Amino acid sequence: MGFTITEKILARASGRSHVCAGDEVKARPDFVVAYDFPGYTDVIFRQMKDEFGIERVPDPERHVLFIDHMVPAVTPQEEDLHQNTRDWGAANGVPVHERKGIGHQVAAELGYATPGAFVVHFDGHISQLGTFGALAIGVRRHLLEAYVKDSILIKVPATTRVELTGTLRPGVMARDVFHHMVRVLGPASCRFQVLEIGGPALAGLSIDARQTITCLAMFTGAITAIINPDEVTLPYARERARLSIDPLYSDPDAVYAARHSIDISDLEPIVVVPPSPANTRDLSDHLGIEVQIGYLGSCASGRIEDLRAAAQVLRGRTIRPGFQLHVVPTSQEIMRQAAEEGLLTDLIAAGAFVTSPSCDYCFGRLGVMTAGQRAVSTGTLNVRGRMGSPDSEIFIVNAAAVAAAAIEGRIADPRKYL
Amino acid sequence: MSLSNLRGRVAFIFTERDFDVDQIVGVKNIKLRDPAELAAVAMKAYDPDFAAQVRPGDLLVGADNFGYGHPHYPPMIAMRHLGIRGVIAESFSPGYWRGEIAMGFPQVACPGILGFVQRWDEIEVDWDTSRIINHTRGASIGIEPLALADRQMLESGGIVGYLHARERDEVQA
Repeated sequence: MGFTITEKILARASGRSHVCAGDEVKARPDFVVAYDFPGYTDVIFRQMKDEFGIERVPDPERHVLFIDHMVPAVTPQEEDLHQNTRDWGAANGVPVHERKGIGHQVAAELGYATPGAFVVHFDGHISQLGTFGALAIGVRRHLLEAYVKDSILIKVPATTRVELTGTLRPGVMARDVFHHMVRVLGPASCRFQVLEIGGPALAGLSIDARQTITCLAMFTGAITAIINPDEVTLPYARERARLSIDPLYSDPDAVYAARHSIDISDLEPIVVVPPSPANTRDLSDHLGIEVQIGYLGSCASGRIEDLRAAAQVLRGRTIRPGFQLHVVPTSQEIMRQAAEEGLLTDLIAAGAFVTSPSCDYCFGRLGVMTAGQRAVSTGTLNVRGRMGSPDSEIFIVNAAAVAAAAIEGRIADPRKYL
Repeated sequence: MSLSNLRGRVAFIFTERDFDVDQIVGVKNIKLRDPAELAAVAMKAYDPDFAAQVRPGDLLVGADNFGYGHPHYPPMIAMRHLGIRGVIAESFSPGYWRGEIAMGFPQVACPGILGFVQRWDEIEVDWDTSRIINHTRGASIGIEPLALADRQMLESGGIVGYLHARERDEVQA
């Protein structure tokens, strides 16, 4: 009998020869990742000490912290939180990466996405480390367990396998692929499971594209997503890997809860209409809706491929007067590359407001909308009030479509500008 | 340890699939920390009289994939402050489920619950028989049993108690 990559990673992490979906095991996370946020890290640091008498984590090398929300701070309380995080990191010998970008992306850049590794975070978008064949799960406040114990108790999840076939047409991006998957499979299709993505179409999907897809796994109900390492991801991941682990792969006869095949050849750009990430629709049916704000960024999108697509649309054009286009590269490394490629020049010349990496535009802390405003966004989520007033609306589209809407002030098909 | 049965009235039924719990308090209130403040803003969009009608022990009922999206803790902090003792739904989104179980807040997966209860029915969750009894209508329906770790988490009152229990077990072992 064969095993999935998820079962193999959890077998390794729990010191067993094999485990199967449904087994409850104590698995040792190779990496414990978090960003500082009120109610999570501050509570964990306090409970670790007050409830369990642990002054310092015994294994600082497996921990890492990011400061990516509330950057830059706008209140003394926010800066207090960050200072507390810096102090805790220094006292514990745990690295704190600040102003380097969104942690889920920077974690990959710094080698925490080691193929075959088991990674935990409180935030579910850590699933994007699955791009590189790591099993990365957002466990919310269960993360405390990884701070006070060597291992965490976890039920080995079943896996749904999705084979992607075909090749994307111009102007259609990974964002469209993911939300199309939600449309085809359903928002509850992979509940409590791992979404494993494979198939011949992967050869045409870059690391950026895969990070977009795996980042958003939670909106299929999955607890994470994973892709078997291949020639696209292994060179990147191995060069940076922080642990010497042999990559693991699903067996051809692995047992899956379900298997699906999705052809992306005929896919058209999509729009996810408010107020739910379950609402995937064809972009062509929503053209012309007036929008005032565009957000290109987030842990899901905002990588070099997204910036190139937006720059291609906007090069030599200008955004509509009054339109607010916020471009927020996902990391400093990406922003530097965008500068070197001249993309930032193109975007700025077109009228974009380009800012340094931060999570804050995605959840309505910066670039806030008032009642009646509408945004096109590559952010993670489009629920009511996510980016400001509960009476504002968010339409999720790909990066090229954000740029196209910025030109017209309306939801627009980006392909006419490519 | 054992889990006490939940017994109370169905204080509200969220019939929407993929329900985003943050809407209970509104995303604009998601940064509030004080339970009383959260309770004061809860349910305004659904039933302005909710706080006045709810009693300690009451339960909530939800549809499929309850807790979908980016669930945060404040909505159910508000609900617990108002006396809600648990949530029963057709099925749950895993992030929400994991988060609330870690708070020691009972969650019950019960396919068929929407057709089994009406608002203000008096119901009881019997963990040992894995059934819900509708005392108002004299009927019962099966629930999905809890995973071992989830049950231990609820018995311990949440993640901190659970980890203390795990330490005690490991010392004994």
